[in-house]
Amino acid sequence: MRALVIDDSRAMRRIVTGILEGLGYETQQAGHGREGLDVLEGGWVPELVCVDWNMPVMDGLQFVSAVRSNPAWRAMTIMMVTSESEHTQIVRALAAGAHEYVIKPFTADAIRDKLALLGLLPQEAVL
Amino acid sequence: MTTIDTGERRRGAESRPVITELIDGATIESIAQDAWIALVGEEEVLVPLPGEPVTDPVSSWVDVVGPWTGSVVLTTGRRTAEELTRALLQEHSPEVLEDEDVADAFGEIANVVGGNVKAALPGSSGLSLPDVGEAPAPRNPDDVCRVDLLWRGETVSISVQGALPALPAH
Amino acid sequence: MTLTTTSFDWVRQLVHRESAIVLQPGKEYLVEARLLPIARQAGLTDVSQFVESVRTRPSPDNTRAIVEALTTNETSWFRDGDPFTALTSTVLPSLLAARGPSERLQIWSAACSSGQEAYTIGMLLEDALPNAASRVAITATDISREMVERTRAGRFSQLEVNRGLPAPMLVRHFVRAGNEWEVAPQLRRMVTASECNLAAPLPRMGPFDVVYLRNVLIYFDLPTKQAILRRVRDVMRPDGWLFLGAAETTLGVDDSWERVVVGRSSAYRPLKGK
Repeated sequence: MRALVIDDSRAMRRIVTGILEGLGYETQQAGHGREGLDVLEGGWVPELVCVDWNMPVMDGLQFVSAVRSNPAWRAMTIMMVTSESEHTQIVRALAAGAHEYVIKPFTADAIRDKLALLGLLPQEAVL
Repeated sequence: MTTIDTGERRRGAESRPVITELIDGATIESIAQDAWIALVGEEEVLVPLPGEPVTDPVSSWVDVVGPWTGSVVLTTGRRTAEELTRALLQEHSPEVLEDEDVADAFGEIANVVGGNVKAALPGSSGLSLPDVGEAPAPRNPDDVCRVDLLWRGETVSISVQGALPALPAH
Repeated sequence: MTLTTTSFDWVRQLVHRESAIVLQPGKEYLVEARLLPIARQAGLTDVSQFVESVRTRPSPDNTRAIVEALTTNETSWFRDGDPFTALTSTVLPSLLAARGPSERLQIWSAACSSGQEAYTIGMLLEDALPNAASRVAITATDISREMVERTRAGRFSQLEVNRGLPAPMLVRHFVRAGNEWEVAPQLRRMVTASECNLAAPLPRMGPFDVVYLRNVLIYFDLPTKQAILRRVRDVMRPDGWLFLGAAETTLGVDDSWERVVVGRSSAYRPLKGK
């Protein structure tokens, strides 16, 4: 399975891709929403996108709306991974079309549990 | 008619809360502890003790704009910020850390702590992208909530500080 | 580093046997970090000492504490979700058909820990039944007073709500409380928490339509398992449903239960005449 990780922090991209690769994902990275759309438009359409909220150029919410307006990307699962953790914001992200929401800080187990809920765990994971 | 100034009158339209009415040090500390466990490492604890004053300080911060407006500022020594960066990057850590690497990682820690501080405040607020460098000075000494913590024996302080000067007293 | 290879291996085997979770070599630090608080509570300063004492003098409480510390420290909500799926897909429709419209359904979350299981059941029923608050009562019990108080408070940290709780359920059933999340009042009212030692005679409770007794029996010897199952049966309705942990069964322990397959899970129902 493939995953696109979009976050303006390189350190955070490395943490998230590290967890996903450990679970068996093939990953690509992007530094903001626009770069993320470039990857998708280039034809690399993954099963999963993990996207931060606050980023320069194009934020995560705008990215989610852009993805949801393109029927070709309907099968993609979007998981917000962000330190934005107000109740109303989680509601907004879900309404825009995100499937799941992981609040920073998170542990590797949290990502794994969410992927299990979404049926996106590639292999039997171990502690 | 005699009026007694209880402070109630100042809570009207032109008044605004100071941070100490909205959050306490224990909450900030527990937010930081969670961030450290998740980002820095499972065994990485922050000890709530003041340490040696920081020499060669570097700060990272995010701004919060809403019913309360100010910044969440993390400050530590440059060496400690580098050590934090290495802990975050683990095996991806380059041989020689560039300023950019430290700004990125230390800034992300401010983002995570700041986002959770913001969510613990009442109402809805906006959050800026992180900034790294010399910390903005507090504008109002009454509008600051600060915790001093030790990580691997080095001081890390977190200051949640208002961006606006004190309102003139009536 | 004080953890000896022998202690680590013993803990690995225990955790694998009881939870099917694999602790790989190199996780000594994790064992050390998670067990130190329990060792200290037992009056010891050293994890190896503590592990040795449990190894030589087995105690269900300590064994359970070790496994929990390593597996469910941040209990996740829908981990092993099949028994919950079974509740809404099969058990609930069958109970609603069998009970009168004003009869309250009674559900017991035994060994509830910090309350995730009880609230997970509550959330599912609130989403499935328009009048869940008046239709369902959930009893949550644990041997530990601290866990009962945590369940009552219904407050969970950011790290806890990140663990296997679907985001749509988080926003529907929780409110922000400082840097924690609190179960919404309506859901909290559905759950009554109290202390209860399953290895001793039960207080007056029930009769229950559904009992979740998961990952508890594994810690006890055969006679205690039999006694617990007998007592649970006594507080269940004759057509009730019992859910055990994935690694547990009544087979070979107590023959007064019938095992039924419900979706991808198994449930146990009291056999008539036994």
